[in-house]
Amino acid sequence: MSQPNAQENRLAQGGRIDRSRRLSFTFNGKTYQGHAGDTLASALLANGVDIVNRSFKYSRPRGIFAAGAEEPNALVQLGVSEAGQVPNVRATQQALYDGLTARSTNGWPNVQRDLMGLVGKLGGGFMPPGFYYKTFMAPASMWMTYEKVIRKGAGLGRSPLESDPDIYDHMHQHCDVLVVGAGPAGLAAALAAARSGARVIVADEQEEMGGTLLDSRELLDDKPAEQWVAETVEALSNMDNVTLLPRTTANGYHDHNFVTLHERRTEHLADTAPLKDGLRQVRSRLHRVRAGRVVLATGAHERPLVYGNNDVPGNMLAGAVSTYVRRYGVVPGNKLVLSVSNDHAYRAALDWVEAGRDVVAIADARANPDGELVEQARAKGIRIIAGAAVVEAKGDARVSAARIAKVDLQGFRVVGGAETLSCDTIASSGGYSPVIHLASHTGSRPTWNEELLGFVPNTVKGVAAAGGARGVYATGAVLADGAEAGLDAATEAGFSAASLGLPRVAERSDGAAVALYQVPHEKATLRAPKQFVDLQNDVTAAGIEVATREGFESIEHVKRYTAMGFGTDQGKLGNINGMAIAARVLGRSIPEVGTTVFRPNYTPVTFGAIVGRHCGELFDPERYTAMHQWHVEQGAAFEEVGQWMRPWYFPRKVNGKTETMHEAVARECLAVREKVGILDASTLGKIDIQGPDAREFLGRVYTNKWAKLAPGRVRYGLMCKDDGMVFDDGTTSCLGDNHFLMTTSTGGAATVLEWLEIWHQTEWPELDVYFNSVTDHWATMTITGPEARKLMEEVTTEVDLDKDSFKFMDWKEGKVAGVPARIFRISFTGELAYEINVQANYALHVWETLFAHGDKYGLTPYGTETMHVLRAEKGFIIAGQDTDGSVTPEDLGMHWAIGYDKPFSWIGKRALTRPDTSRENRKQMVGLKPKDPTVVLEEGAQIVLDPNHSIPMPMEGHVTSSYYSPTLASGFALAVVKGGHQKMGETVYLPMVDGQVHEAEIVSPIFLDPKGERQNV
Amino acid sequence: MSNTAVETVRTFDTRTEAKIPVESPLTYSYRRSGAPAPTAKSRVVMRERAFLGHLVLCGGAVVLDGAVRAVLGISLPGEPQGLVQDDEGKRSIQWVSPDEWLVIVPGGEEFELENRLRAALGDAHFAISNVSGGQTLVELEGEAAREVLMKSVVYDVHPSHFPVGKGVTTIFAKTTVVLRRPSEERWELVVRRSFADYTYRWLLDAGEEYAIGVER
Repeated sequence: MSQPNAQENRLAQGGRIDRSRRLSFTFNGKTYQGHAGDTLASALLANGVDIVNRSFKYSRPRGIFAAGAEEPNALVQLGVSEAGQVPNVRATQQALYDGLTARSTNGWPNVQRDLMGLVGKLGGGFMPPGFYYKTFMAPASMWMTYEKVIRKGAGLGRSPLESDPDIYDHMHQHCDVLVVGAGPAGLAAALAAARSGARVIVADEQEEMGGTLLDSRELLDDKPAEQWVAETVEALSNMDNVTLLPRTTANGYHDHNFVTLHERRTEHLADTAPLKDGLRQVRSRLHRVRAGRVVLATGAHERPLVYGNNDVPGNMLAGAVSTYVRRYGVVPGNKLVLSVSNDHAYRAALDWVEAGRDVVAIADARANPDGELVEQARAKGIRIIAGAAVVEAKGDARVSAARIAKVDLQGFRVVGGAETLSCDTIASSGGYSPVIHLASHTGSRPTWNEELLGFVPNTVKGVAAAGGARGVYATGAVLADGAEAGLDAATEAGFSAASLGLPRVAERSDGAAVALYQVPHEKATLRAPKQFVDLQNDVTAAGIEVATREGFESIEHVKRYTAMGFGTDQGKLGNINGMAIAARVLGRSIPEVGTTVFRPNYTPVTFGAIVGRHCGELFDPERYTAMHQWHVEQGAAFEEVGQWMRPWYFPRKVNGKTETMHEAVARECLAVREKVGILDASTLGKIDIQGPDAREFLGRVYTNKWAKLAPGRVRYGLMCKDDGMVFDDGTTSCLGDNHFLMTTSTGGAATVLEWLEIWHQTEWPELDVYFNSVTDHWATMTITGPEARKLMEEVTTEVDLDKDSFKFMDWKEGKVAGVPARIFRISFTGELAYEINVQANYALHVWETLFAHGDKYGLTPYGTETMHVLRAEKGFIIAGQDTDGSVTPEDLGMHWAIGYDKPFSWIGKRALTRPDTSRENRKQMVGLKPKDPTVVLEEGAQIVLDPNHSIPMPMEGHVTSSYYSPTLASGFALAVVKGGHQKMGETVYLPMVDGQVHEAEIVSPIFLDPKGERQNV
Repeated sequence: MSNTAVETVRTFDTRTEAKIPVESPLTYSYRRSGAPAPTAKSRVVMRERAFLGHLVLCGGAVVLDGAVRAVLGISLPGEPQGLVQDDEGKRSIQWVSPDEWLVIVPGGEEFELENRLRAALGDAHFAISNVSGGQTLVELEGEAAREVLMKSVVYDVHPSHFPVGKGVTTIFAKTTVVLRRPSEERWELVVRRSFADYTYRWLLDAGEEYAIGVER
C-alpha cells in the first residue's frame, strides 16, 4: 500500500490542480496529501489507493472506475463529526478540502479484509440474481431480520445520528433558457442564448465548467480548449442576464419545464458550512426552476466493456484515464492495457504514454482500425492487437494481467488462444451513451440509433438536447450543435440574435466503431468468471441470462429481477450493456428490448436540500391572535387549530404546584358557570357579506331561514354540503338589510369562504353579493358567566346593556375600554355571554382592561378544552368533531334549524329527501351518561347493545365528544347511535381494548339548563 | 352619504382618536424574535408600515373607477396586476382580481374614504370592507431584496417580469402574501395579521445571509 504524502501517481506537471496548495485528508482512518483542484478520487488515485469499497452483494474489492457522476464504486461516507455525516458521496464528485474525512460506505468490518468477502468468494453461487426475492422471502416474517443483516453487510452508507448543524434552502428561479451542462455544447448554447438578451441559467455539476474540454487534446482557434472555456465562462459571468451555477446538478426534469437543480454551495470547502463574513452560509440549495426552454447539454457516458473480472481494482473507463492524467495530473497505474471498440478511446493510451508510463497493448475489436488517433498510437510505437479484446482480467486486489483474445463479434465467441499480458491497469471503452436521463424524466422514450450505437432522446416540446446528449461527438460539431440549440431556444422564447462566431476546430477523421458490449469468453457466460454489467448493484451478464431463462423477458422485469440500474446508480454505466446482453440472449435487437425508465433523481439529493427551510420553527405557519403575547405570559398550554395556536387551558400554580389539565379545566368550567370567564375567540372565521342579494344568498347556503332576520339581530346557521350532510355552522348577524357578518368554525373559515365563492361564481352569478374575509381585522373576546353583565357595565360605554333592551341574540355598537366595538349577545356556553369584536390593533388593551376590572368578579381566562366541555354540556355540536360528513341536521336532532318550506331550494335540501336520509336506523346524536360517574368514555369508543354477543359484535354507534363535567360531577358524552332518538333511557355498552366494558345510559344531549334560561338572563 | 347606503349597509369606524395603546401585527414578533438593526453590511432592510388604512373594494371596474377618480384623485389600475399610487406615493389602489381592488391609505383616512366612496357610488352594486386591523404592510429594500423574495415566493420577481407598478397575490413559503413593487428599489408585502409572525421569522431567516436589518 501507499505511503502517506507519497502521491506516487502524481505527475510533476500538468493538470488543473494547484501544486502549491497541499491539502491533507483522511480516508478509512489513514491520512493522505492532495492538492487544491483535486477530487477525492483523483487524490486517492494519486496516492495509489486501489481499493475504495466492497461491492454491494458479493463484497468484492472495488477501485475507482470512472471520473464523474457515473462512478459506481467509490461511494463514500463523508464527515468529520457525527452531525456532519453524509452518505453515498461519489469520490469522483467530491472536491478535496483540507481535513476532508471519508470512509468507504461498504465493507463492514473493513474494506481491506472483511467477512462478507468470504461470502463473495466462496459463495458466488449462493447469491444468484433474484436472491433477495427467492431466498429471503420465505418465511416472509423473517424478511426484516434478513434485511438488517444484508444492509449492514452491504453498506449503502448511514445517516447521521445527530441533527444537522447546517442550513439548506430553496430558491425559485425563472428563466427563458435553462442550459444543463457546461461542456462545449452547453457553453456554446448558453452564449448563443445569452447574446439574444434572454434570461439564461447554466447549471453544471462539476467543480469547474468546461466538461470534456477540460481534458481535451484538441485546439480551439489553435489554443488549448481550456482557454476557450475560460474566456467563455468569463464572458457569461459578465452578463446580467446570465446566472452561472457551478457544482449544481439538474436532478429532475418535471412537467412543464420545471427542473430541480441541486447546488452544493459549501461542500467543496469543509465538513460543515463555514461562516462567510461572519454570517451563516447555506450548505446546499435546491433551485426550483421554471424554464421557458431547456437545453440538455448533458454529454455522454462512456460504456465500459463487459469481460471477466472487469471489476477488479485497476479496471477503468478509458475516458476516465484521460481525465485523471490531463485534468488532475494523476496516472492511475504503471502498465496499461486498453480494450476498445472505437477511435476516441485511443486518447487514453496517448495520454498514458505522454505521461511517461508504459502502454502494454491496445486490443481493438475492429479488424482494421485506421483512424487518426490509431495512427498516432502506432506512431508512438504502441502495440495494437486488431480484432481482439480483453476477455478477462487477472488479479485480486489489483489487476495483475489481462487475457487478450481474438473475438468473433457476429458469432459471439473467442477465436484461437488467448495471450496473457502483465499489466496493472485495464481501461476499456465500448462506445458512448448519450446522457438521456433528464430527457427520460419527461416520460418520452428514447430511440435507438444504430449508427451511433446508443439511445438518443426523442423530441419533447420546450426541450432540446445538444451535443453529446444527442449523439453529436466531434468537438467542432458539438460547439455548432450547442450554439444552434441555444439560439433556437432563445428564438422560441421570443428573442433574436445573430449566430455565434465559433472557434475553429481541426476536424479529426475517426474510423467507424463496432458494436461490442459483452466480450465473449472461452467459457459460456454462466461458467465464465463474473462479467459485471452494473458494478454498483453487482449485476453480471450471467445474472441477466438467468433472468431471461426464468422467463423475465421484458427489460423492466429483468431490471427488477437483477436490480440493474437501481437506486443511486440509475443505470448510468450498465443499462445499455445489460439491454444488449438481454437482446443477445433473447435473439432480439436492442430497440426491440427497449430501455428501462430513468427516474429522478439523477444523483442523490440530500434531504436537507429537499426540506429547505421548512423545518423546525418554520415547518408550518403558526397563526397568532392579537392577544397571543398575553396567553404566552400567562403560561397557557396551546392547541393547534387550523394553524392557529389557541390557548388550550391556563394552568395556574397552586401551592407551588402547576395544575394538571384536568384541574385547570375543572376550575375554568366552574368559573364560567358560577362567575365569569373570558375566551379569545378571534380565530373564528368572519366573513363580511354585502349586496342586495346577501339575504337571499344566505337562505340558499344555510338550511334555516334568513328572510326575516332584522338588522340588530343574530341567528345560528347550519350549512350542509349538497349531499345533505352538515359541513359547518356558526352565527350570522344582520348588520343592515344588505349587510351581514357570518362567522364560521376556526378550521372551516377558508373552506366556507371558498364554498360561498364557488356557489356564487358558478351557480348563482346573478345574485348581487360580495364576500370578504374580515377574520384578521377583528379580535374577538367572549365574556361569559353570570357576572358577565356586571363586568361589561364597568368597561362599556355608549351601549345600554339592560337585559330588555340588549337581549339574547341581539348585537349592538358601542365602546369597550374606549375602543369602538361591536358586541354580540351570543352564547356557546349556555351562560349569559357577550362577544366583543374590536379592531385587532386595540385588542390587547381591551383584553387587559377587562382583567383590570374583572378580578373582583373572578374573571378567569379559559381555553379551548373548557370551551369544549361547556358547549358539550349544552349539546352544542362542533362541526368536524361531532359530525364527520355523514351526519344530517336531522341526525343531530336539529329540525328547528331546517327550513323545508323556504321558497327557493337550498344546498342539501334535495339530498335530505332521499330514503337513506330518512331511514330509521341512521346514527343519531344523543347524550351518554356513564353509569359510573367517574368514568370518562373514550372518544371514538364503539357502542354495542349486548356486551356478551360473540365477536364480531354489531356496532350501534360511537362516542364523538366526551369530558368530565365539574358542574354535573360526572363524566358525560355526546355520541351517535343507530336510531338513538328513540332509545332515550336505554342502556348501552362500550367494550374497551383492555377488556373493561363501560355501561352508559342514552340521554338527551342537553345536560344542563334544557330550557336555555341561563343565557337569556 | 347616500341614504340607500346608510339603510342597507352598516359602516363602522373601528379606529379611535383616543389615546389608546395600539399593537401592530409585528409587535409580538419584535419581542419574540428581536429586530436586528441594519448595519453597513446589511444588503436588505425590512420595515413595517403599520396602522395604515386598508380597504377591499369590490364591484364593476367602470363604476368604481369613476368613484375613486372623484374621491381619491387616482384611477383604478388599467390592467390586471396593476398598482397605482398618488403623487405622494401615500395612497394606492391595487388590482387583486377582476372585481376586487385593495386600497391602502394613510391610517385614519379609511373610514372617511369609505363613506365618500359609498356616497359617490350610490345605488351601484359594490362592497367595501375595512380590513385595516387584519393586515400590515412590510417593506423590503436593498440590493438583496430580490434574492430574499426568490427564496420566499414562487412568483417570478425579475424586473423584466415584475416591473414597478405591478402587484400580485402569491404563495410565500407556506402562506400567501400580496406582493407589490411601488418603486425600483422597494418591494411591499401585504401580510395577514395572523400570519405576520411566521412571515417575519421567515424573512429574518431568508435574509440572514444578507445581514438583514429591521428598521423600526
